[in-house]
Amino acid sequence: MSIVSVRGLHKRFGDLEVLKGVDLDIEQGEVVVIIGPSGSGKSTLLRCLNFLEYPDEGEVWLRGRQVDPAADDLDKVREHIGMVFQHFNLFPHMNVLHNVTVAPVNVKGMERKDANAIARDLLDKVGLADKEKEFPSRLSGGQKQRVAIARALAMDPDIMMFDEATSALDPELVGEVLGVIQDLAEGGMTMVLVTHEMGFAREVADRVIMMDDGYIIEEAAPAELFEHPAEERTQRFLSQVF
Amino acid sequence: MPALIEIGTEYAAPFAEATLVTLRLTAVSLVLAVVIGLVIALFKLSRNRVLNLIANAYIGVIRGLPLIVQLMFLYFGIVQIVRLSSFWAGSLALAVHAGAYVAEIFRGSIQSIDHGQTEAARSLGMSKAKTYRLIVLPQAFRRAIPPLGNQFIIGLKDSSLVAYLGVQELFGAALSAQAENFQPFETYLVAGMYYLVLVLIFSVLVNRLERGLSKGKREAAPA
Repeated sequence: MSIVSVRGLHKRFGDLEVLKGVDLDIEQGEVVVIIGPSGSGKSTLLRCLNFLEYPDEGEVWLRGRQVDPAADDLDKVREHIGMVFQHFNLFPHMNVLHNVTVAPVNVKGMERKDANAIARDLLDKVGLADKEKEFPSRLSGGQKQRVAIARALAMDPDIMMFDEATSALDPELVGEVLGVIQDLAEGGMTMVLVTHEMGFAREVADRVIMMDDGYIIEEAAPAELFEHPAEERTQRFLSQVF
Repeated sequence: MPALIEIGTEYAAPFAEATLVTLRLTAVSLVLAVVIGLVIALFKLSRNRVLNLIANAYIGVIRGLPLIVQLMFLYFGIVQIVRLSSFWAGSLALAVHAGAYVAEIFRGSIQSIDHGQTEAARSLGMSKAKTYRLIVLPQAFRRAIPPLGNQFIIGLKDSSLVAYLGVQELFGAALSAQAENFQPFETYLVAGMYYLVLVLIFSVLVNRLERGLSKGKREAAPA
């Protein structure tokens, strides 16, 4: 059973059709990387999976159940999908520990003591055990993004989505965030990443998906897609990036 | 100058008492104004058209009328329906008036919070209500403090108009005093100094609060 399945997904913003019929399945433990030029619909696809955007047409299935945005409690749906944003979006009025515990305590109703224990464990995993009392404004971009990853993991999600998680970072800080994502991949976390880090995509991905103009135009194992892209558009895109 | 000192000392007791009334009037009306302002701001930001309409009508009417007209209108209007002391009638009228301005302050500060904050909260499974309560409003309140402090100073001074409802607050005490001593210039000057001192004290308090909150550098640096 797939963790996430998408069938015939369409999304329009006014006159602009951003997704023009996307089908996708993501299996348990799989790491899927989505590449493609900007405006190709990569981020919108992610945002439709947790209903930060509502698809105009098509089906989204999570763990074998179709999500009905009109009838289902989307808050419950989102609990199980971790998301990491390009601009971190940490809560600036809360310290690091509180950023990580606020959802488990207030959404899951977890005891603060238990939430703190989980949060400290996760902060240790992302290498920020000593920063739990700091406020986000005192952290570097790479540290902020690692806190954001810990925050999403604290809800114990079925899948983690990364929306250009390293695009806003200074080059020397990219590595520490990619390292954390790599650890997660090795730990068996199901993940879907939108990224421009092609070298990393090649290393970490089980499958690479190339999007352009609202369509998935090609998908393959990373070695194959990067070495022998079948589509002309993929070749052109890769030659521009490398 | 001697006349000033004379009036200052002669009316020290009634002016001190009246100062307390002014402070109570201001405190009560501003606490109510914050509640009204928050509700109206949320109405205005709501997707519900009816709530939008209520908020816009309220803000439009209140901002479009002089305070003294609202005071008289509300006083004579309310007193016909319920028995209220002039203190409470005045407090309510001041609150209704300041509420419109506080609503616009809150609306602005809520809208200034980056939408990414809401998206992050929703992506963690928080409901709209929890997102507002835990994430958006605490940050918005912090941003609202400087303009709110300004509005509170205006509210303190506006409370002087309640004297015309017969409340013996600071300006009311001055009205009575000058009718008694036939020295309006000196008497109003003394009353003015009382107001000035109150406003200065209040400004210092607001500044301290602002500095205290920014010391932790808890606001997000611009991305």
